[in-house]
Amino acid sequence: MSEQEKKKILIIEDDQSLQSALVEIIQQEGFETESAFDGEEGLAKARSFGPDLILLDIILPKKDGFEVLLEIKKDEATKNIPVLVLTNLEEVNNIQKALDLGANSYLVKSDFSLKEVVEKVKAILK
Amino acid sequence: MFWKLLDDLNFIARCKKYKLGLWQCPNFLFLVMGFLTIVSMFGAYFASKNFDDETVTVVSVTTVAIVIITIGSFIIRGVEKIAEANVMKNEFISIVSHQLCGPLAAIKWNMEILENDESSNNLKLTAKQEAFLKNIKEANDKMLKLVNQLLEVNRIDEGRAVFKNDNIDLGEIIDQVILELKDLILEREIEIKKRISPDLPPIFADPDGIKTAVKNLISNAIKYSRQKGKVEIDLKLDGRQILLAVKDWGVGIPRYQHRKVFEKFFRSANEARYRTDGIGLGLYLARAIVENLGGKLWFESEAGKGSTFYISLSPAQKNL
Repeated sequence: MSEQEKKKILIIEDDQSLQSALVEIIQQEGFETESAFDGEEGLAKARSFGPDLILLDIILPKKDGFEVLLEIKKDEATKNIPVLVLTNLEEVNNIQKALDLGANSYLVKSDFSLKEVVEKVKAILK
Repeated sequence: MFWKLLDDLNFIARCKKYKLGLWQCPNFLFLVMGFLTIVSMFGAYFASKNFDDETVTVVSVTTVAIVIITIGSFIIRGVEKIAEANVMKNEFISIVSHQLCGPLAAIKWNMEILENDESSNNLKLTAKQEAFLKNIKEANDKMLKLVNQLLEVNRIDEGRAVFKNDNIDLGEIIDQVILELKDLILEREIEIKKRISPDLPPIFADPDGIKTAVKNLISNAIKYSRQKGKVEIDLKLDGRQILLAVKDWGVGIPRYQHRKVFEKFFRSANEARYRTDGIGLGLYLARAIVENLGGKLWFESEAGKGSTFYISLSPAQKNL
Protein backbone atom coordinates (compact mmCIF):
# COMPACT_ATOMS: atom_id res chain seq x y z
CA MET A 1 0.00 0.00 0.00
CA SER A 2 1.56 3.31 -1.02
CA GLU A 3 1.63 6.34 1.27
CA GLN A 4 -1.13 8.21 -0.56
CA GLU A 5 -3.70 5.47 -0.32
CA LYS A 6 -3.06 4.70 3.34
CA LYS A 7 -6.49 4.66 4.97
CA LYS A 8 -6.82 6.67 8.15
CA ILE A 9 -8.32 5.29 11.32
CA LEU A 10 -9.23 7.27 14.41
CA ILE A 11 -9.23 5.28 17.65
CA ILE A 12 -11.25 6.82 20.48
CA GLU A 13 -10.49 4.72 23.55
CA ASP A 14 -9.56 5.97 27.01
CA ASP A 15 -7.80 2.85 28.25
CA GLN A 16 -4.11 3.31 27.47
CA SER A 17 -3.33 -0.40 27.22
CA LEU A 18 -6.21 -1.10 24.85
CA GLN A 19 -5.41 2.00 22.82
CA SER A 20 -1.76 1.07 22.30
CA ALA A 21 -2.59 -2.52 21.35
CA LEU A 22 -5.08 -1.25 18.76
CA VAL A 23 -2.63 1.31 17.36
CA GLU A 24 0.05 -1.34 17.05
CA ILE A 25 -2.04 -3.92 15.21
CA ILE A 26 -3.75 -1.40 12.95
CA GLN A 27 -0.47 0.22 11.95
CA GLN A 28 0.98 -3.21 11.27
CA GLU A 29 -1.83 -3.73 8.82
CA GLY A 30 -0.74 -0.64 6.93
CA PHE A 31 -3.22 1.93 8.17
CA GLU A 32 -2.49 5.38 9.49
CA THR A 33 -3.85 5.93 12.99
CA GLU A 34 -4.70 8.78 15.31
CA SER A 35 -5.57 8.32 18.97
CA ALA A 36 -8.06 10.15 21.15
CA PHE A 37 -8.51 9.46 24.87
CA ASP A 38 -11.81 11.16 25.60
CA GLY A 39 -15.02 12.10 23.84
CA GLU A 40 -14.20 15.75 23.18
CA GLU A 41 -10.76 15.01 21.79
CA GLY A 42 -12.35 12.28 19.68
CA LEU A 43 -14.89 14.66 18.18
CA ALA A 44 -12.25 17.30 17.43
CA LYS A 45 -10.03 14.73 15.72
CA ALA A 46 -12.95 13.27 13.78
CA ARG A 47 -13.13 16.71 12.13
CA SER A 48 -9.44 17.57 11.83
CA PHE A 49 -7.91 14.19 11.02
CA GLY A 50 -10.52 13.23 8.44
CA PRO A 51 -10.50 9.51 9.19
CA ASP A 52 -11.88 6.82 6.87
CA LEU A 53 -13.16 4.91 9.88
CA ILE A 54 -13.63 5.56 13.59
CA LEU A 55 -13.22 2.99 16.35
CA LEU A 56 -15.31 4.26 19.23
CA ASP A 57 -15.41 3.15 22.85
CA ILE A 58 -18.66 3.79 24.75
CA ILE A 59 -17.54 4.63 28.27
CA LEU A 60 -15.35 7.71 27.82
CA PRO A 61 -14.48 10.73 29.93
CA LYS A 62 -15.96 14.16 29.12
CA LYS A 63 -18.38 12.90 26.46
CA ASP A 64 -19.52 9.30 26.25
CA GLY A 65 -19.55 7.28 23.05
CA PHE A 66 -23.25 7.81 22.45
CA GLU A 67 -22.88 11.59 22.51
CA VAL A 68 -19.84 11.43 20.26
CA LEU A 69 -21.71 9.20 17.83
CA LEU A 70 -24.71 11.53 17.85
CA GLU A 71 -22.57 14.55 17.05
CA ILE A 72 -20.56 12.77 14.38
CA LYS A 73 -23.77 11.83 12.63
CA LYS A 74 -25.21 15.35 12.97
CA ASP A 75 -22.23 17.04 11.35
CA GLU A 76 -22.28 17.14 7.51
CA ALA A 77 -18.47 16.85 7.42
CA THR A 78 -18.29 13.67 9.49
CA LYS A 79 -21.63 11.95 9.08
CA ASN A 80 -20.47 9.59 6.34
CA ILE A 81 -17.50 8.22 8.26
CA PRO A 82 -18.22 4.62 9.26
CA VAL A 83 -18.11 3.99 13.01
CA LEU A 84 -17.23 0.67 14.63
CA VAL A 85 -18.25 0.63 18.28
CA LEU A 86 -16.03 -1.11 20.83
CA THR A 87 -17.84 -2.02 23.99
CA ASN A 88 -17.70 -3.74 27.31
CA LEU A 89 -21.39 -3.26 27.85
CA GLU A 90 -22.50 -6.27 26.01
CA GLU A 91 -26.14 -5.75 26.84
CA VAL A 92 -28.11 -5.72 23.66
CA ASN A 93 -29.97 -2.54 24.69
CA ASN A 94 -26.81 -0.50 24.63
CA ILE A 95 -25.57 -2.00 21.41
CA GLN A 96 -28.93 -1.44 19.78
CA LYS A 97 -28.82 2.19 20.89
CA ALA A 98 -25.44 2.63 19.19
CA LEU A 99 -26.70 0.99 16.00
CA ASP A 100 -29.81 3.17 16.03
CA LEU A 101 -27.58 6.23 16.30
CA GLY A 102 -25.85 5.17 13.10
CA ALA A 103 -22.92 2.98 14.11
CA ASN A 104 -22.02 0.51 11.36
CA SER A 105 -21.21 -2.37 13.62
CA TYR A 106 -20.02 -3.21 17.12
CA LEU A 107 -17.83 -5.65 18.92
CA VAL A 108 -17.42 -6.69 22.52
CA LYS A 109 -13.80 -6.12 23.47
CA SER A 110 -13.31 -9.13 25.70
CA ASP A 111 -14.91 -11.50 23.15
CA PHE A 112 -12.83 -10.49 20.15
CA SER A 113 -9.18 -10.97 19.30
CA LEU A 114 -7.26 -8.12 17.67
CA LYS A 115 -7.19 -10.16 14.48
CA GLU A 116 -10.96 -10.17 14.43
CA VAL A 117 -11.04 -6.43 15.08
CA VAL A 118 -8.80 -5.86 12.08
CA GLU A 119 -10.92 -8.17 9.93
CA LYS A 120 -13.99 -6.19 10.86
CA VAL A 121 -12.26 -2.89 10.08
CA LYS A 122 -11.20 -4.19 6.67
CA ALA A 123 -14.68 -5.51 5.93
CA ILE A 124 -16.24 -2.12 6.62
CA LEU A 125 -13.65 -0.25 4.55
CA LYS A 126 -14.06 -2.55 1.57
CA MET B 1 -35.48 -37.32 62.30
CA PHE B 2 -35.44 -36.13 65.91
CA TRP B 3 -31.91 -34.81 65.53
CA LYS B 4 -32.85 -32.99 62.39
CA LEU B 5 -35.66 -31.27 64.30
CA LEU B 6 -33.21 -30.33 67.04
CA ASP B 7 -30.88 -29.00 64.39
CA ASP B 8 -33.73 -26.90 63.00
CA LEU B 9 -34.30 -25.48 66.47
CA ASN B 10 -30.66 -24.56 66.85
CA PHE B 11 -31.50 -21.08 65.64
CA ILE B 12 -28.56 -19.32 67.26
CA ALA B 13 -26.11 -21.27 65.12
CA ARG B 14 -28.25 -20.64 62.06
CA CYS B 15 -28.51 -16.91 62.64
CA LYS B 16 -24.77 -16.77 63.19
CA LYS B 17 -24.24 -18.60 59.91
CA TYR B 18 -26.34 -16.03 58.06
CA LYS B 19 -24.52 -13.18 59.87
CA LEU B 20 -27.80 -11.83 61.20
CA GLY B 21 -28.38 -10.32 64.64
CA LEU B 22 -30.80 -12.24 66.86
CA TRP B 23 -33.51 -9.63 66.43
CA GLN B 24 -33.18 -9.74 62.68
CA CYS B 25 -33.20 -13.47 62.41
CA PRO B 26 -36.56 -14.92 61.35
CA ASN B 27 -35.80 -18.34 62.88
CA PHE B 28 -35.41 -16.79 66.33
CA LEU B 29 -38.26 -14.32 65.96
CA PHE B 30 -40.75 -17.01 64.96
CA LEU B 31 -39.84 -18.97 68.04
CA VAL B 32 -40.30 -15.92 70.28
CA MET B 33 -43.56 -15.11 68.58
CA GLY B 34 -44.86 -18.64 69.05
CA PHE B 35 -43.86 -18.66 72.69
CA LEU B 36 -45.40 -15.26 73.42
CA THR B 37 -48.59 -16.17 71.61
CA ILE B 38 -49.03 -19.25 73.74
CA VAL B 39 -48.29 -17.33 76.95
CA SER B 40 -50.63 -14.51 76.10
CA MET B 41 -53.39 -16.90 75.05
CA PHE B 42 -53.19 -18.57 78.45
CA GLY B 43 -53.07 -15.15 80.07
CA ALA B 44 -56.18 -14.09 78.21
CA TYR B 45 -57.91 -17.30 79.12
CA PHE B 46 -57.19 -16.97 82.85
CA ALA B 47 -58.03 -13.29 82.84
CA SER B 48 -61.43 -13.87 81.32
CA LYS B 49 -62.08 -16.77 83.68
CA ASN B 50 -61.10 -15.03 86.91
CA PHE B 51 -62.48 -11.58 86.17
CA ASP B 52 -66.13 -11.45 85.36
CA ASP B 53 -65.65 -8.46 83.11
CA GLU B 54 -65.69 -8.45 79.29
CA THR B 55 -63.32 -5.50 79.20
CA VAL B 56 -60.55 -7.67 80.62
CA THR B 57 -61.04 -10.20 77.84
CA VAL B 58 -61.06 -7.50 75.16
CA VAL B 59 -57.94 -5.87 76.58
CA SER B 60 -56.03 -9.14 76.86
CA VAL B 61 -56.96 -10.30 73.34
CA THR B 62 -55.93 -6.91 71.97
CA THR B 63 -52.63 -7.15 73.83
CA VAL B 64 -51.97 -10.54 72.24
CA ALA B 65 -52.70 -9.08 68.81
CA ILE B 66 -50.35 -6.13 69.38
CA VAL B 67 -47.56 -8.44 70.51
CA ILE B 68 -47.98 -10.58 67.40
CA ILE B 69 -48.02 -7.54 65.09
CA THR B 70 -44.88 -6.11 66.72
CA ILE B 71 -42.91 -9.29 66.37
CA GLY B 72 -44.30 -9.76 62.87
CA SER B 73 -42.88 -6.40 61.88
CA PHE B 74 -39.47 -7.43 63.23
CA ILE B 75 -39.65 -10.54 61.08
CA ILE B 76 -40.56 -8.52 58.02
CA ARG B 77 -37.61 -6.24 58.62
CA GLY B 78 -35.34 -9.27 58.88
CA VAL B 79 -36.65 -10.63 55.59
CA GLU B 80 -36.27 -7.20 53.99
CA LYS B 81 -32.67 -7.12 55.04
CA ILE B 82 -32.12 -10.46 53.35
CA ALA B 83 -33.87 -9.29 50.17
CA GLU B 84 -31.79 -6.12 50.15
CA ALA B 85 -28.61 -8.14 50.52
CA ASN B 86 -29.68 -10.21 47.54
CA VAL B 87 -30.15 -7.14 45.35
CA MET B 88 -26.82 -5.73 46.53
CA LYS B 89 -25.10 -9.00 45.74
CA ASN B 90 -26.40 -8.94 42.18
CA GLU B 91 -25.31 -5.34 41.74
CA PHE B 92 -21.94 -6.12 43.22
CA ILE B 93 -21.37 -9.03 40.86
CA SER B 94 -22.49 -6.93 37.93
CA ILE B 95 -20.19 -4.01 38.73
CA VAL B 96 -17.20 -6.17 39.50
CA SER B 97 -17.59 -8.23 36.36
CA HIS B 98 -17.95 -5.17 34.16
CA GLN B 99 -14.89 -3.60 35.69
CA LEU B 100 -12.95 -6.84 35.23
CA CYS B 101 -13.80 -7.02 31.52
CA GLY B 102 -11.64 -4.02 30.65
CA PRO B 103 -8.33 -5.18 32.13
CA LEU B 104 -8.95 -8.73 30.93
CA ALA B 105 -9.49 -7.51 27.38
CA ALA B 106 -6.33 -5.42 27.71
CA ILE B 107 -4.29 -8.47 28.75
CA LYS B 108 -5.76 -10.50 25.91
CA TRP B 109 -4.99 -7.89 23.25
CA ASN B 110 -1.52 -7.07 24.54
CA MET B 111 -0.62 -10.74 24.65
CA GLU B 112 -1.70 -10.96 21.04
CA ILE B 113 0.61 -8.07 20.16
CA LEU B 114 3.51 -9.87 21.86
CA GLU B 115 2.85 -13.03 19.90
CA ASN B 116 2.43 -11.12 16.68
CA ASP B 117 5.67 -9.29 17.26
CA GLU B 118 7.43 -12.55 17.88
CA SER B 119 6.34 -14.07 14.59
CA SER B 120 6.64 -10.96 12.42
CA ASN B 121 10.10 -9.94 13.61
CA ASN B 122 11.44 -13.45 13.69
CA LEU B 123 12.16 -13.22 17.38
CA LYS B 124 12.62 -16.61 18.85
CA LEU B 125 11.34 -17.18 22.34
CA THR B 126 12.83 -20.02 24.31
CA ALA B 127 10.61 -23.03 24.87
CA LYS B 128 10.35 -21.98 28.49
CA GLN B 129 9.21 -18.49 27.61
CA GLU B 130 6.66 -19.91 25.19
CA ALA B 131 5.28 -22.18 27.88
CA PHE B 132 4.89 -19.38 30.41
CA LEU B 133 3.33 -17.11 27.83
CA LYS B 134 0.84 -19.86 27.08
CA ASN B 135 0.07 -20.19 30.80
CA ILE B 136 -0.76 -16.51 31.05
CA LYS B 137 -2.99 -16.69 28.01
CA GLU B 138 -4.84 -19.73 29.27
CA ALA B 139 -5.34 -18.22 32.71
CA ASN B 140 -6.67 -15.05 31.18
CA ASP B 141 -9.07 -16.93 28.92
CA LYS B 142 -10.32 -18.88 31.89
CA MET B 143 -10.90 -15.67 33.82
CA LEU B 144 -12.73 -14.13 30.87
CA LYS B 145 -14.96 -17.17 30.68
CA LEU B 146 -15.81 -16.98 34.38
CA VAL B 147 -16.57 -13.28 34.22
CA ASN B 148 -18.75 -13.79 31.17
CA GLN B 149 -20.60 -16.53 32.99
CA LEU B 150 -21.17 -14.28 35.99
CA LEU B 151 -22.51 -11.54 33.74
CA GLU B 152 -24.77 -13.96 31.92
CA VAL B 153 -26.22 -15.25 35.19
CA ASN B 154 -26.79 -11.70 36.33
CA ARG B 155 -28.60 -10.84 33.15
CA ILE B 156 -30.87 -13.85 33.54
CA ASP B 157 -31.52 -13.12 37.23
CA GLU B 158 -32.45 -9.55 36.50
CA GLY B 159 -34.55 -10.49 33.48
CA ARG B 160 -32.26 -8.63 31.08
CA ALA B 161 -31.19 -11.65 29.05
CA VAL B 162 -32.06 -11.37 25.38
CA PHE B 163 -32.65 -14.51 23.39
CA LYS B 164 -32.70 -14.40 19.62
CA ASN B 165 -34.65 -17.52 18.78
CA ASP B 166 -34.46 -19.27 15.47
CA ASN B 167 -35.10 -22.72 13.98
CA ILE B 168 -32.03 -24.78 14.77
CA ASP B 169 -30.82 -28.32 14.47
CA LEU B 170 -29.85 -29.59 17.91
CA GLY B 171 -27.74 -32.38 16.39
CA GLU B 172 -25.58 -29.79 14.69
CA ILE B 173 -25.16 -27.91 17.98
CA ILE B 174 -24.00 -31.13 19.62
CA ASP B 175 -21.40 -31.66 16.87
CA GLN B 176 -20.11 -28.10 17.33
CA VAL B 177 -19.87 -28.57 21.09
CA ILE B 178 -17.94 -31.83 20.75
CA LEU B 179 -15.55 -30.11 18.37
CA GLU B 180 -15.02 -27.23 20.80
CA LEU B 181 -14.37 -29.68 23.63
CA LYS B 182 -11.92 -31.84 21.72
CA ASP B 183 -8.90 -30.75 23.77
CA LEU B 184 -10.63 -31.69 27.00
CA ILE B 185 -11.81 -34.98 25.51
CA LEU B 186 -8.27 -35.86 24.42
CA GLU B 187 -6.76 -34.81 27.72
CA ARG B 188 -9.16 -36.94 29.75
CA GLU B 189 -9.11 -39.70 27.14
CA ILE B 190 -12.87 -39.92 27.03
CA GLU B 191 -14.72 -42.05 24.54
CA ILE B 192 -17.72 -40.11 23.22
CA LYS B 193 -20.58 -42.25 21.95
CA LYS B 194 -23.05 -40.18 19.99
CA ARG B 195 -26.44 -41.41 18.83
CA ILE B 196 -28.52 -38.86 16.98
CA SER B 197 -31.79 -40.02 15.48
CA PRO B 198 -32.10 -39.06 11.82
CA ASP B 199 -34.76 -36.62 10.58
CA LEU B 200 -35.37 -34.88 13.89
CA PRO B 201 -37.47 -31.72 13.60
CA PRO B 202 -35.68 -28.44 14.40
CA ILE B 203 -36.14 -26.64 17.71
CA PHE B 204 -36.94 -22.96 18.08
CA ALA B 205 -34.23 -21.54 20.31
CA ASP B 206 -31.42 -19.05 20.73
CA PRO B 207 -28.39 -20.79 19.15
CA ASP B 208 -25.85 -19.31 21.58
CA GLY B 209 -28.03 -20.00 24.59
CA ILE B 210 -28.82 -23.60 23.77
CA LYS B 211 -25.20 -24.20 22.88
CA THR B 212 -24.15 -22.93 26.31
CA ALA B 213 -26.63 -25.30 27.95
CA VAL B 214 -25.57 -28.35 25.89
CA LYS B 215 -21.90 -27.52 26.34
CA ASN B 216 -22.31 -27.33 30.10
CA LEU B 217 -23.88 -30.77 30.25
CA ILE B 218 -21.34 -32.43 27.96
CA SER B 219 -18.30 -30.76 29.53
CA ASN B 220 -19.55 -31.70 33.00
CA ALA B 221 -19.98 -35.31 31.87
CA ILE B 222 -16.38 -35.29 30.63
CA LYS B 223 -14.92 -33.51 33.65
CA TYR B 224 -16.63 -35.74 36.17
CA SER B 225 -15.82 -38.95 34.31
CA ARG B 226 -12.83 -40.96 35.32
CA GLN B 227 -9.78 -40.92 33.09
CA LYS B 228 -10.51 -43.02 29.96
CA GLY B 229 -14.19 -43.01 30.77
CA LYS B 230 -17.13 -43.04 28.42
CA VAL B 231 -19.81 -40.40 27.74
CA GLU B 232 -22.97 -41.22 25.86
CA ILE B 233 -24.91 -38.54 24.05
CA ASP B 234 -28.33 -39.54 22.87
CA LEU B 235 -30.70 -37.32 20.90
CA LYS B 236 -34.10 -38.65 19.90
CA LEU B 237 -37.80 -38.02 19.70
CA ASP B 238 -39.61 -38.94 22.91
CA GLY B 239 -43.32 -38.70 22.22
CA ARG B 240 -43.67 -35.21 20.79
CA GLN B 241 -40.63 -33.85 22.63
CA ILE B 242 -37.03 -33.79 21.54
CA LEU B 243 -34.99 -35.46 24.26
CA LEU B 244 -31.27 -35.07 24.81
CA ALA B 245 -29.60 -37.41 27.30
CA VAL B 246 -25.97 -37.03 28.36
CA LYS B 247 -24.78 -40.02 30.36
CA ASP B 248 -21.52 -40.57 32.16
CA TRP B 249 -20.12 -43.27 34.44
CA GLY B 250 -18.16 -40.84 36.56
CA VAL B 251 -18.17 -39.74 40.18
CA GLY B 252 -21.90 -38.94 40.36
CA ILE B 253 -23.70 -36.72 42.83
CA PRO B 254 -24.52 -37.91 46.35
CA ARG B 255 -28.27 -38.22 46.91
CA TYR B 256 -28.38 -35.68 49.76
CA GLN B 257 -27.13 -33.02 47.37
CA HIS B 258 -29.57 -33.70 44.57
CA ARG B 259 -31.92 -30.86 45.32
CA LYS B 260 -29.03 -28.39 45.42
CA VAL B 261 -27.57 -29.19 42.02
CA PHE B 262 -29.25 -26.34 40.20
CA GLU B 263 -28.55 -23.75 42.87
CA LYS B 264 -26.22 -20.90 42.07
CA PHE B 265 -22.60 -21.43 43.15
CA PHE B 266 -23.30 -25.02 44.12
CA ARG B 267 -20.44 -27.47 43.68
CA SER B 268 -20.92 -31.10 44.52
CA ALA B 269 -18.80 -32.55 47.30
CA ASN B 270 -17.49 -35.37 45.18
CA GLU B 271 -13.98 -36.59 44.59
CA ALA B 272 -13.58 -34.46 41.47
CA ARG B 273 -14.39 -31.21 43.23
CA TYR B 274 -10.83 -30.00 43.49
CA ARG B 275 -9.70 -31.44 40.22
CA THR B 276 -12.25 -29.59 38.10
CA ASP B 277 -12.61 -25.88 37.98
CA GLY B 278 -15.76 -23.85 37.83
CA ILE B 279 -17.76 -21.70 40.16
CA GLY B 280 -20.98 -23.63 40.17
CA LEU B 281 -22.89 -21.59 37.63
CA GLY B 282 -22.95 -23.93 34.64
CA LEU B 283 -26.02 -25.96 35.53
CA TYR B 284 -27.86 -22.98 36.97
CA LEU B 285 -27.33 -21.19 33.69
CA ALA B 286 -28.20 -24.24 31.59
CA ARG B 287 -31.46 -24.77 33.42
CA ALA B 288 -32.42 -21.08 33.22
CA ILE B 289 -31.82 -21.11 29.45
CA VAL B 290 -33.75 -24.32 28.86
CA GLU B 291 -36.68 -23.22 31.01
CA ASN B 292 -36.74 -19.90 29.19
CA LEU B 293 -37.39 -21.93 26.03
CA GLY B 294 -40.26 -23.73 27.74
CA GLY B 295 -38.20 -26.91 28.06
CA LYS B 296 -37.08 -29.02 30.99
CA LEU B 297 -33.69 -29.98 32.36
CA TRP B 298 -33.29 -32.72 34.96
CA PHE B 299 -30.96 -35.53 35.98
CA GLU B 300 -30.53 -38.91 37.57
CA SER B 301 -27.40 -39.62 39.52
CA GLU B 302 -25.85 -41.94 42.01
CA ALA B 303 -22.62 -41.25 43.84
CA GLY B 304 -19.79 -43.35 42.45
CA LYS B 305 -21.84 -44.64 39.54
CA GLY B 306 -22.39 -41.62 37.32
CA SER B 307 -25.05 -39.22 36.14
CA THR B 308 -27.44 -38.72 33.28
CA PHE B 309 -28.65 -35.23 32.47
CA TYR B 310 -31.68 -34.69 30.27
CA ILE B 311 -32.97 -31.76 28.26
CA SER B 312 -36.42 -31.98 26.78
CA LEU B 313 -37.65 -29.37 24.31
CA SER B 314 -40.65 -28.96 22.02
CA PRO B 315 -39.95 -29.07 18.31
CA ALA B 316 -40.35 -25.78 16.45
CA GLN B 317 -43.86 -25.03 15.18
CA LYS B 318 -44.02 -25.46 11.45
CA ASN B 319 -44.66 -22.56 9.08
CA LEU B 320 -43.53 -19.87 11.45
